[in-house]
Amino acid sequence: MEHSDDWAVQLAHAAGEGAEVGDAFGVPVFDVSAERWVVTLQAARDSGLTFFDWLSAVDELDEGFSVVAHVADQSRHPVLHLLLRTRIPRDAPVLPSATAVYRGAAWHERETHEMFGIGFDGHPALDPLLLPDGFEGHPLRKEFVLAARAAKPWPGAKEPGEGGERTAAPARRRMLPPGVPDPSWGPRPPGDAP
Amino acid sequence: MAVTELGMPGHGHPDGEQIAGSVGPAQRLVPDPVRIVLNWGRRYSLWVFNFGLACCAIEFIAASMARHDFIRLGVIPFAPGPRQADLMVVSGTVTDKMAPAVRRLYEQMPEPKYVISFGACSNSGGPYWDSYSVTKGVDQVVPVDVYVPGCPPRPEALLQGILRLQEKIAGENLAARYPGPAAVRRDSTPTILTRPLVPPATSERERP
Repeated sequence: MEHSDDWAVQLAHAAGEGAEVGDAFGVPVFDVSAERWVVTLQAARDSGLTFFDWLSAVDELDEGFSVVAHVADQSRHPVLHLLLRTRIPRDAPVLPSATAVYRGAAWHERETHEMFGIGFDGHPALDPLLLPDGFEGHPLRKEFVLAARAAKPWPGAKEPGEGGERTAAPARRRMLPPGVPDPSWGPRPPGDAP
Repeated sequence: MAVTELGMPGHGHPDGEQIAGSVGPAQRLVPDPVRIVLNWGRRYSLWVFNFGLACCAIEFIAASMARHDFIRLGVIPFAPGPRQADLMVVSGTVTDKMAPAVRRLYEQMPEPKYVISFGACSNSGGPYWDSYSVTKGVDQVVPVDVYVPGCPPRPEALLQGILRLQEKIAGENLAARYPGPAAVRRDSTPTILTRPLVPPATSERERP
């Protein structure tokens, strides 16, 4: 355990000023600026965190997007986990690609690109990975409207009191799942089109 | 409705289009006692093809194992592929990207063929009704004979669904199910739903 903090020293050196170490349910989180993203990843890899697990993003609404990468050092016992996190603005969601450091990040960046619309400079081929051909929009962004209910109503009761006259339970306030538009979107009765 | 928009043959829909003439003319000529015997034979030798897409497939497997054992009902889970199967059990979440494959394998099954939709997801989309990627029921892609509700249904529910299907087979008339002349229609092929194969990568950009 004499070198247990080597990675922290090296990462703090690579991340420069403004980097913070936090805690996400037991896993250390390293917040770095977007400019130092690749340099910090490289420092993490060179200090022994060679296992790249995943990379994804979080839509933080007005605060932009958080891009998170999970790396680990499997030579330690117990395995050392580390989350690296950076923040990019919403109006210019571009980040340097991590594929030069971790090759396995290529598919994760493709997925993050199509799900959140985040660009990765230097990625060899940012083609769609999972979505069907011709899909429009970025479905994991919070502004993406889940319009299935507007096109087709749910075939059954969702809440107590919706099942017709036979149910005795009183109607309560309608719950609307996140991302689902309000009933003014539809479905409309026939002939009610504006 | 999406079924008719896509030009789907739907024996589950009386006004839908039909694939005509897929069974032989003898089915139209046999007397009723022979038809009952033929139906009795078909209902107890359903070679099943499991289109397992999610957790419901585990319940299907449980139903095929020793404790529930649907082989005692004449359902045989060893079909080498859809071309040797009579029954397709769609168990799991059908996504828009998977739907062409479901359609394609259904088309490869020989007539007469049956479909059991197993679980809430393949019945209607289930808990993923609001999703951007989940098909709102496999009956938008293929005609369904029996729906088994549940999330996931227990193996007993699948046994009940199989019994319902067997009752349906026992009472059916193949000539009524496949009316029309013995001409095979080919204007409804899976290629209308299928995207072309992706050519292998030749450029350097696919190999970072």
